[in-house]
Amino acid sequence: MDTQWPRYEVFKQDSPHKAHEAVGSVHAPDAEMALLQARDVFVRRPSAVSLWVVPETAVFAITAEEIAANPVPPLPPIATHAQTYLVFTKTSQRRSMTFVRHVGEIVAATPQIALQLAMESGRFNEDAVFVWWLVPESAITRSEPGDIDSLFTPAHDKTYRQQSYYGFVSPTRNRK
Amino acid sequence: MNESHQTALSTWLLAMADDQLILAHRNSEWIGHGPILEEDIALANIAQDELGHARLLYELYAALTGDDPDKLVFFRETAVYRSTQFVEYPKGDWAFTMLRQYLFDAAEMVLLTQLVDSTYQPLAQAAAKMRNEELYHYRHSSAWLKRLGLGTAESNQRTQTALDTLWPLAQQLFVPLPAAEFLTTDGVIPPATVWQEAWEQVVRPFLHNCDLAIPTAAAPPTADRAIHSPYLAPLLAEMQEVARFDPEATW
Repeated sequence: MDTQWPRYEVFKQDSPHKAHEAVGSVHAPDAEMALLQARDVFVRRPSAVSLWVVPETAVFAITAEEIAANPVPPLPPIATHAQTYLVFTKTSQRRSMTFVRHVGEIVAATPQIALQLAMESGRFNEDAVFVWWLVPESAITRSEPGDIDSLFTPAHDKTYRQQSYYGFVSPTRNRK
Repeated sequence: MNESHQTALSTWLLAMADDQLILAHRNSEWIGHGPILEEDIALANIAQDELGHARLLYELYAALTGDDPDKLVFFRETAVYRSTQFVEYPKGDWAFTMLRQYLFDAAEMVLLTQLVDSTYQPLAQAAAKMRNEELYHYRHSSAWLKRLGLGTAESNQRTQTALDTLWPLAQQLFVPLPAAEFLTTDGVIPPATVWQEAWEQVVRPFLHNCDLAIPTAAAPPTADRAIHSPYLAPLLAEMQEVARFDPEATW
């Protein structure tokens, strides 16, 4: 029997006009607890205005290499039960972009179709993308605007120091 | 504020601060032992928040008495602590810790809601600051209680056992402190009965919905905060050990 709690991917928004970015994951028995765990693990100190959590099983993730090796199959003739997918991409290796970032929405019947539509849309700087994530909107649990004061504001009054604040002892010794 | 009012206020502030400090210490005992990494981090955060609340209250106390908050915490003897036995009891199992945290969070949340309108401005300001954090604490511990109470037969049983122990102990939180009437008539703090009623209105229906039975016996073991459980002295010995090892050290 698997005794582990399921994993939830966490997306954090740093300020109202920035995109939500994936920041990592938490284990939780359900989405409500995952949101609280995400608050404690990821936004105790740095500022944030919004958190989303998504069960990892709801994330369709694929890399550019995987797409090149195994091209996305053609669209089925009839797309039924269309729903909104959130599109996340990673387009840079800069340290500030370790994870995928939310870039828009696509309506489609399956994540594979959503991916294909996204790749053909011309909206997502497709040639530069090397990781795609597609997440059904219905699978997302979001913090509410009313949560800001209790979940995020207290962090502003707490000391937050970058790693570089702390002195370090170099492991190499000067030799004479 | 005349001298008798000032004494009443400092007595009350010290009692409130001591409860926050001791509970923070009890919760910090879970660090490295939480049921899962995420929860270990969450409870450590909450313990640190409560420690921060204790510091705000010790600073209000120190402003009246001239004491030093660090000295109050690390160099005061067991007999002059004013914590309730409710916060002194060992951390127990996870159900015990979460239930105690829930009962305390509910008490603190309703108290802070009333203290935001305190006529003593420094207290009103501190309450406004603490309240945001407390809303989150309450959300965290109530989410746990629902899952423990309504989870499995074992989780319900463990939580019920904890409630049977903690319910009478919790009543000590609301025992009026000496000369508190000076403070309530001036609107500095709410009367203890008002605080307790507001707390019961929150926790009674909630615990019932978690399938937990509230014990009928509800007399606290003592009404006197100078009388401690046997658990406080060992806790303080551990907490104060490092500071007392080198009293002149600066941190």
